[in-house]
Amino acid sequence: MSIEPMKLFFKEIKKPIKTAMIGNYAVAGGITQTDPDVICAFPITPQTQSVEGLSDVVYQGRLKAAFVNVESELAAMSYATAACASGARTFTATASQGYLLMAEALPMAVGWRLPLTMMISARAFNAPNLSIWNSWEYVLIDFGWNCIVSENVQETYDAAILSVMISEDSLFPTMFVHDGFIISHSVQQLTLIPDETVRKLTPKKMRPTIDPEYPGTWGGIVTPDFFTEGRLGLDVAKKPVLGIIDDAFKRFKDATGREYNTIETYNLENSSKTAFITMGSMCGNIISWMTKNKDVGLIKIRTYRPFPYDELQQIVQENDIEKLIILEKSDSLNNLLPPFAMSTATALYPLGTLFRCFIVGLGGRDVTRDELDIAKKKMKHVMDMKGQLYTYLGARESANKLHEVEL
Amino acid sequence: MLTEKQVKEILKDHCLNLRFHARGGQGGVTASNLCVESFDGYGVCQPKFGAERMGSPTESYVRLSANYDLVRSNEQVYVPHFVSVLDDSLLSEVDVTAGMPDGGWLIVNTTMNQNEVGMTIANKNLNIATIDATNIAMEVLGRNITNTVILGALIRVSHLFTIDQLADAIMTRFKGEIAGKNVKAIKRAFEETCLYENPGGVEIDFKTDTKVPWQQVSLSLPGYKELDPAGVWYCDNKIMRVGSDQVNTGSWGEWNIVWDEEKCTDCAQCWFICPDFAIITEKGEDGKFHMKGINTFFCKSCQNCIEICPVNAIHKEPKQGPGSCAVPEA
Repeated sequence: MSIEPMKLFFKEIKKPIKTAMIGNYAVAGGITQTDPDVICAFPITPQTQSVEGLSDVVYQGRLKAAFVNVESELAAMSYATAACASGARTFTATASQGYLLMAEALPMAVGWRLPLTMMISARAFNAPNLSIWNSWEYVLIDFGWNCIVSENVQETYDAAILSVMISEDSLFPTMFVHDGFIISHSVQQLTLIPDETVRKLTPKKMRPTIDPEYPGTWGGIVTPDFFTEGRLGLDVAKKPVLGIIDDAFKRFKDATGREYNTIETYNLENSSKTAFITMGSMCGNIISWMTKNKDVGLIKIRTYRPFPYDELQQIVQENDIEKLIILEKSDSLNNLLPPFAMSTATALYPLGTLFRCFIVGLGGRDVTRDELDIAKKKMKHVMDMKGQLYTYLGARESANKLHEVEL
Repeated sequence: MLTEKQVKEILKDHCLNLRFHARGGQGGVTASNLCVESFDGYGVCQPKFGAERMGSPTESYVRLSANYDLVRSNEQVYVPHFVSVLDDSLLSEVDVTAGMPDGGWLIVNTTMNQNEVGMTIANKNLNIATIDATNIAMEVLGRNITNTVILGALIRVSHLFTIDQLADAIMTRFKGEIAGKNVKAIKRAFEETCLYENPGGVEIDFKTDTKVPWQQVSLSLPGYKELDPAGVWYCDNKIMRVGSDQVNTGSWGEWNIVWDEEKCTDCAQCWFICPDFAIITEKGEDGKFHMKGINTFFCKSCQNCIEICPVNAIHKEPKQGPGSCAVPEA
């Protein structure tokens, strides 16, 4: 039995096709077009259909790839890392607890400079209760993977192809993220890229791999005489990655006409000199809301890692932004700020821009005009950087009483 | 009722929202996908996020507009202008009119007339369309699949797309004879839909946002101060109304499961295999547990107990009344 939406990818796509499908199948299609050699992943809601779709194209003979079933996410990441080290173009995908279970094996692909590609359907982790719905778990672990965040189905399809380009150009692993259910399970319109164009964008290139003709030990133990140099070497190698990502975006635009940037801005020349800053599907909510709220702008971060520190400063400075409203779908309980806000705050420190972080949309709670209205209103009264810099929005304190919001 | 021209004007500055109520397996999500594929403009479709199971009540949503920025929102649909109900047994189980603005259209697959449907609905300013889609599906398609059929009624009241546009989308999605039959069924549904506009002639006011503020937060539920500090669901103290013992799985099935006390040997094999704790047992004077019956709130007629019973003490009978054929036999 085959999966209906994947049928489009069974044949050579000769010209752009306008269609509609869910985020996960779109990713499966995009990855199919990049011609991976090994696909190894363990199913977890809401990531499942991406790997299911790929199993279908492999079964149909459309994709000549090894589809490997493993017993856990730790095994999936270990297997994918090793396959990638042996020279295979490799794809894996996960979410939530699966991502946390991978944690032990995640730094290896970075350290070994492997162009591994992973999709994440962002989902909450389990504490204090289990939730299969959307939060940003991917911001919690910071091992040096490149990270591209998508707002909608078209972007996540394109990100699948872009991530393969970025991985192989930078020789660092890349994860691309869409919000679980909100994008992974929503049917949205998108335009597919012809196979020939994808082939030209993602040529298979020579790179250092495990080679039986030239044996060596990968990941062997080193004394304190060597470890620091290894880490410094990685950090130096990471510096050009933002430029490599920009270059990939540019080549992608030349080939497809769709323009992407590390940071995208909307309506920053607004009267209140205030802007939202966030990532992912919430940007769409804000853009729709902004059709009636023209006094606020939006800064959308697409490249979350490496964080575009200089570019964000430049944008805030050039547009004279005085206040930033950080919207974040994760919390840290660390008495500082949650991870995305902490990254943003670090970049804003030299500028002294006023900001507050609002934690919204945890565990699949919808982010609506209510949250955006109240965040805007609260920001009007912010005149300094004293006190706690974050708050939960849209959370019940007790029945019929919202936390820090007058009803 | 809005004319085709009015709908075109509205779509320039507003989103038109649809909601489909169905049972898992009836194809509500496919129906909403077809709306996006047929619509000449921008559209997105979301299922109700979570796990969908055969026979359980499901919802899916569609947002359509000529303005891309409006459709770009990933917010859920709170104010559906057109609601389609694929199975009239849902009328008593789910609040199908939730969030509907005055002047909205409720489309129901039913053999009831508008008065009978109207009895189940509190808001008297809604318009009602009824269509016996099940009958059309059985006669034209030969199967009880009503998800495409009901779109014929939707076209009749909404003018969001034409029958030809829908036919194109169906031809792309389904191949061969079945595609043609679906188009035939849709055309028949378009003709046979009965329309009842609200007596006051109220039309939808697109200028006012009728979403209930903070609706997404479910304000009436307990807050963090009232919940267990570790998020534990204790059996005796139901502050958090969650867990499978809160779900009326009994409404999902198409069979009544009947237990014969005479034949039962209290072997308890059914108790072990039942996925929903629907086998009622009681401790007798002898200190042993005895079977007492089947809990219809939980029993979804999976028939595992019938399979496993060694003495044939359990059998099935078709449910009577509306929704008796909720899910088409595979």
